[in-house]
Amino acid sequence: MAQSRILDLVKTQCRIFSLNFNPQRLRLGNKILRQRLRGPALAAWYPKKTVSFRDLQNTYKPLGLTTFDEAEDDREEAIQMSVGFYTRFALLHTD
Amino acid sequence: MSKVASMFHPKRLDLSGFVNTRLIRDHNKRNAFAQMEPERQALRYIIRNTSLPQRTRAQAQLQLSQMHCYTRPTQIKNRCVASGTARSVFRNFRLNRFQFRMQALAGELPGVKKASW
Repeated sequence: MAQSRILDLVKTQCRIFSLNFNPQRLRLGNKILRQRLRGPALAAWYPKKTVSFRDLQNTYKPLGLTTFDEAEDDREEAIQMSVGFYTRFALLHTD
Repeated sequence: MSKVASMFHPKRLDLSGFVNTRLIRDHNKRNAFAQMEPERQALRYIIRNTSLPQRTRAQAQLQLSQMHCYTRPTQIKNRCVASGTARSVFRNFRLNRFQFRMQALAGELPGVKKASW
């Protein structure tokens, strides 16, 4: 088969499969364009944050619904207790 | 472009599970790379394309080398998701060998069984 016929065949093949026709074998860097982006796969290595209690609270507060965060309640109670203790302590030692 | 790493820090931490500074830093690098990857690939294409003028290619080389180091894929290191350790991390489980052993013995990894014959 003639060389020109084969070249024509390859050219048509390249057109159909949208490849780069490059019979001179020039270095056109097309292999870079063919590479897939691997950023999204790499960025998904660590587990992403899911819905937290605060998100739930923020979504339901405007609707007028009440939420009860037990840990937050415990914390506030502890603060109240310690504040009460220190004020009593201060009152005892002011005189 | 200013060359400070803080520009890649998120406003709020979007990670759950084990967290330490080095893990967050690696996470930021991953995000930075994902964000800038198209630009990096475009520059790499210009550099490799011998049909373009030499000046353009040299400029692209310079631009690529002057991008922030956080946008470089070689900066990324696989760390253990459960302990943040950077050594002997199994890619398939994202755990280091010790965490893998503990979780496997506790039966938390489906299909993993201690070999015995």
